[in-house]
Amino acid sequence: MTALVIAGGNLKRVLRDRTGLFFLFVLPLLMVFVLGLAFGGTSAPKLGVVAGGEHLLSELRAADLAVTEYEDETALRAAVERGELGAGLVASPGELRVVARQDNTGQQVRLAASDVLARESARLAAARFTARQTGVDEDAALALVDSSRVPVVEVRVTTSGEAAFPADVGPFDLTASAQLLLFVFLTTLTSSVALVETRRLGVSRRMLSTPAGTGAIVVGEGLGRVAVALLQGAVVVTGSSLLFGVRWGDPLGAGALLLAFAFVAGGAGMLLGSVTRTEQQAGGLGLALGMLTAALGGCMVPLELFGDAMRTASLFTPHAWANQGFTELARHGGLLDVLPEVGVLAGFAVVLYALGAWRLRRALTA
Amino acid sequence: MRHALLIAAKDLRERSRDRSVLLYALLLPLGLTLLLNLVLGGVTDPRPFRYAVVDDDRGPVAAAFADALRGAQDGGAVEVRPAGSADEARRLVDAGDVAAAFLLPAGLSPDLAAGRAAAVEVVGDVDAPLGTRVAASIARSFTDRLTSVRVAVEAARRGGSSVDPAELARLVAAEPDPLPVVEDPAPRRELDPTTYYAAGMAVFFLFFSVQFGVTSLLDERRDGTLARLLAAPLRPSSILVGKLLTSCAIGLVSMGVLVVATSLAIGAHWGPPVGVALLVVSGVLAATGLVAVVASVARTAEQASGWQAVLAVALGALGGTFIPIAQVGGPLAAVSLASPHRWFLAGLADLAADGVAGVWPSVTALLVFALAGFGVAGALTRRAVRW
Repeated sequence: MTALVIAGGNLKRVLRDRTGLFFLFVLPLLMVFVLGLAFGGTSAPKLGVVAGGEHLLSELRAADLAVTEYEDETALRAAVERGELGAGLVASPGELRVVARQDNTGQQVRLAASDVLARESARLAAARFTARQTGVDEDAALALVDSSRVPVVEVRVTTSGEAAFPADVGPFDLTASAQLLLFVFLTTLTSSVALVETRRLGVSRRMLSTPAGTGAIVVGEGLGRVAVALLQGAVVVTGSSLLFGVRWGDPLGAGALLLAFAFVAGGAGMLLGSVTRTEQQAGGLGLALGMLTAALGGCMVPLELFGDAMRTASLFTPHAWANQGFTELARHGGLLDVLPEVGVLAGFAVVLYALGAWRLRRALTA
Repeated sequence: MRHALLIAAKDLRERSRDRSVLLYALLLPLGLTLLLNLVLGGVTDPRPFRYAVVDDDRGPVAAAFADALRGAQDGGAVEVRPAGSADEARRLVDAGDVAAAFLLPAGLSPDLAAGRAAAVEVVGDVDAPLGTRVAASIARSFTDRLTSVRVAVEAARRGGSSVDPAELARLVAAEPDPLPVVEDPAPRRELDPTTYYAAGMAVFFLFFSVQFGVTSLLDERRDGTLARLLAAPLRPSSILVGKLLTSCAIGLVSMGVLVVATSLAIGAHWGPPVGVALLVVSGVLAATGLVAVVASVARTAEQASGWQAVLAVALGALGGTFIPIAQVGGPLAAVSLASPHRWFLAGLADLAADGVAGVWPSVTALLVFALAGFGVAGALTRRAVRW
């Protein structure tokens, strides 16, 4: 009971800090939105086009390219150079010029558009030839070419294997869970500042002079961190699904992952709050550790892009396991599919709690 | 000015003993840069797409296709290897060893020569949509070339040409390409990941470290020393100028150390020193100006640092200090222009591409932020202390 009161006090303290609410709720949702726009879903190659003409533009769009029209070549070129576009296309009466960087991204987009460009070139060639041979005007010749059916060499495209992600994974779905983990862990770690403050101001000593035992205080402080993490998680999950239509997958599975991760974060926060001596130390270390574990755990760049050594190293972060769990859920997995991940997270939580409780008890009673 | 310098000198002596300054100005940005570089520095350009090709045709068409594949491999964005059979190719696709496989069926060349319908098959990994898309595009570019002659002949015939189809075909083949697709290589105007993280973290934490100057105005007010300063025979504006100087000095030292340290420790390429210096100075001024506005609006130092943190994180996220936001495009990229962080990072990319001449747009934008900030902060502070 005492522990719950202490936990409640912790939660109240967090909610009363108005600027803190920005970091707790607004920023995570903002980042989900921004990153969802940035990297979510659409792997469609981005192509900028200057003076494309209706036919070419519709062909390019039909070929699953994300086409943006540009007014002039200078703007297009700048966008390509800065990496805003995979490649650019400048159409002029005499030629089709492809502005692409020499890296793989640029070349791959150029290749993705190459069939449309080759077809357009061939189409115009055929029309010009027809016009000259038959004396009809160019538009009529184009119409003849477009309506001519000859036995063509078909390219049959099939895909093999089972899709890692069902086609209905939304643009925000996977970035949302990654951001949720980053922020839950980060805010819980930095909220350890409050624990240091509690110790420094002598609140803990006063609590100890009451009938509350060290056990209750330790559990209460720990639960307080977990409560913050859970509240933040709940708000981000609800907010992102209402605002951006993020699907978190099976509610039981997502709930279990979130609960387990909140306990890991709470344990880490309590450990950090007990081993550091000043608020600056706790805040700084919390920020650094929160960012590092998030980066290593695949919250900034997806784990699939990691090299083998980094992938192995990532297994030492709770984030990697939780990310793996949410990926499983995005593939329509259920609670049973994420049980291994939940189990590992529970293991993390137990170890961190034990260490945190031990250190905090020493810090309080020493 | 002498008074302003005296105040700045006093503040700097105090700050140099303040461990939080050390933390935010040097330790955190440096530590996070090293860590991010360690974890993410290797994740750069996407890997080339790997394809397998199965040649059951062994005819001239397959040979021409092999030529086309060689052309596609020139840029290095695509790697092709032969596979013995369709089954083997499918196994490679399923195992994720290749993104897609090209299957050229037996009898492709004779079928084409006889004008019969034929098909080239592309089997793509369902988890490599772009790789499959590119493979299909390579195959289609090839087959389109094969059929374009026939299309032209058919269109001319339907248009009323009385020339013999074989002669028409010969004439088409002799036509020059009316719309050649030419390649126009563009340079990369992007920072390499190592430099990007170093610069991003440096400018992100700059907005924290410059707080230690201007925000101390609020400490002085709380402790009652501001009233004493105002009673002293000095121009009140000297107080604000002194605080701003302190901020700038901390910012410059922080950025200077970070530039040198990240260059030496992890090989960040900041670029020509003159250009870097211009960007750093204008960036420090912009950060100081914006932070000063917050300090002049806030009532207490705690409130100020809370708001400043919100401002720093929001502008940092918007300006792409964590992820290159400009690459998102669309309205978000336009909104990012409101972030000095974005101008700083874009300035460095321009510096790398165009040399010192390239930094002026960014320097100008940063100075506009600085002037606006100083102007508003000056006006607000003047009202607060009734100069």
